[in-house]
Amino acid sequence: MRARSAWAGVRRLGWCMADKVLFEFLHTEMVAELWAPHPDPGPGGQKRSLSILESIGFRVGQALGERLPQETLGFREELDVLKFLCKDLWVAVFHKQMDSLRTNHQGTYVLQDNSFPLLVPMASGLQYVEEAPKFLAFTCGLLCGTLSTLGFQSLVTTSVTSLPACKFQVVIRKP
Amino acid sequence: MTVHNLYLFDRNGVCLHYSEWHRKKQAGIPKEEEFKLMYGMLFSIRSFVSKMSPLDMKDGFLSFQTSRYKLHYYETPTGIKVVMNTDLGVGPIRDVLHHIYSALYVELVVKNPLCPLGQTVQSELFRSRLDSYVRSLSFFSARAG
Repeated sequence: MRARSAWAGVRRLGWCMADKVLFEFLHTEMVAELWAPHPDPGPGGQKRSLSILESIGFRVGQALGERLPQETLGFREELDVLKFLCKDLWVAVFHKQMDSLRTNHQGTYVLQDNSFPLLVPMASGLQYVEEAPKFLAFTCGLLCGTLSTLGFQSLVTTSVTSLPACKFQVVIRKP
Repeated sequence: MTVHNLYLFDRNGVCLHYSEWHRKKQAGIPKEEEFKLMYGMLFSIRSFVSKMSPLDMKDGFLSFQTSRYKLHYYETPTGIKVVMNTDLGVGPIRDVLHHIYSALYVELVVKNPLCPLGQTVQSELFRSRLDSYVRSLSFFSARAG
């Protein structure tokens, strides 16, 4: 009896704290691994590494797009899908919601996260701003892949002016 | 009551970080030598203390004091050593040093992909958070006592 409740206590604490960190460390190593074989950081090599990270994120996003949505009748409109990304997808992967979503109602959306978890340990301000894009490539792909499973072709780009805030710009391509 | 300075070492003796708040007298030797001296002393005192202990050791070396200052020591199982010099009125601060390790070093340096382990910490965020944390401690006063 006592052993069972002790184990439940450990699971509650340890599991909640450990799984967030596992993804963060894995992501760090993915980026490091892709950058390591390029001692000469020419633009060609960097672009290839960025696109590898994006395609990994894309495939993860495609799978999450199938796995995550709880309701089958949910998505009537484009805006509902974007709201799903900002709430459900962000909470599932980053344990928080997106801080703001803006749109021009013509297929372009700007998603802003004021304290993006992958950037939070790095800096609070301008240090490391040039390095930030490679830590966002996987997530761009993630957004793109999830949208693709939900029926939308898109182009996702990011911009960072001051860590740990970042913006994801999503442009939905008309079929 | 006040905090004089703080050293952070890794298991190989590399000084990862050094901060100073109230230090009226310097050691008179270059910083590199000062760090080596501090690390060497800690290494020796730790093994001395465990060898000469008349009882079974529990935590090991915790602190020493002179007539003017007190040196507090905290070591993690991974060999990270946090050393803080304060004035004499300050009691055991093991939990403070542990917080510096777990909430600052682990969160902002180990988890920072751009901070290579085993080198001096370059992260501005770490430096500024550590500084605000130390300044917020109950035994830190802006005027050196």
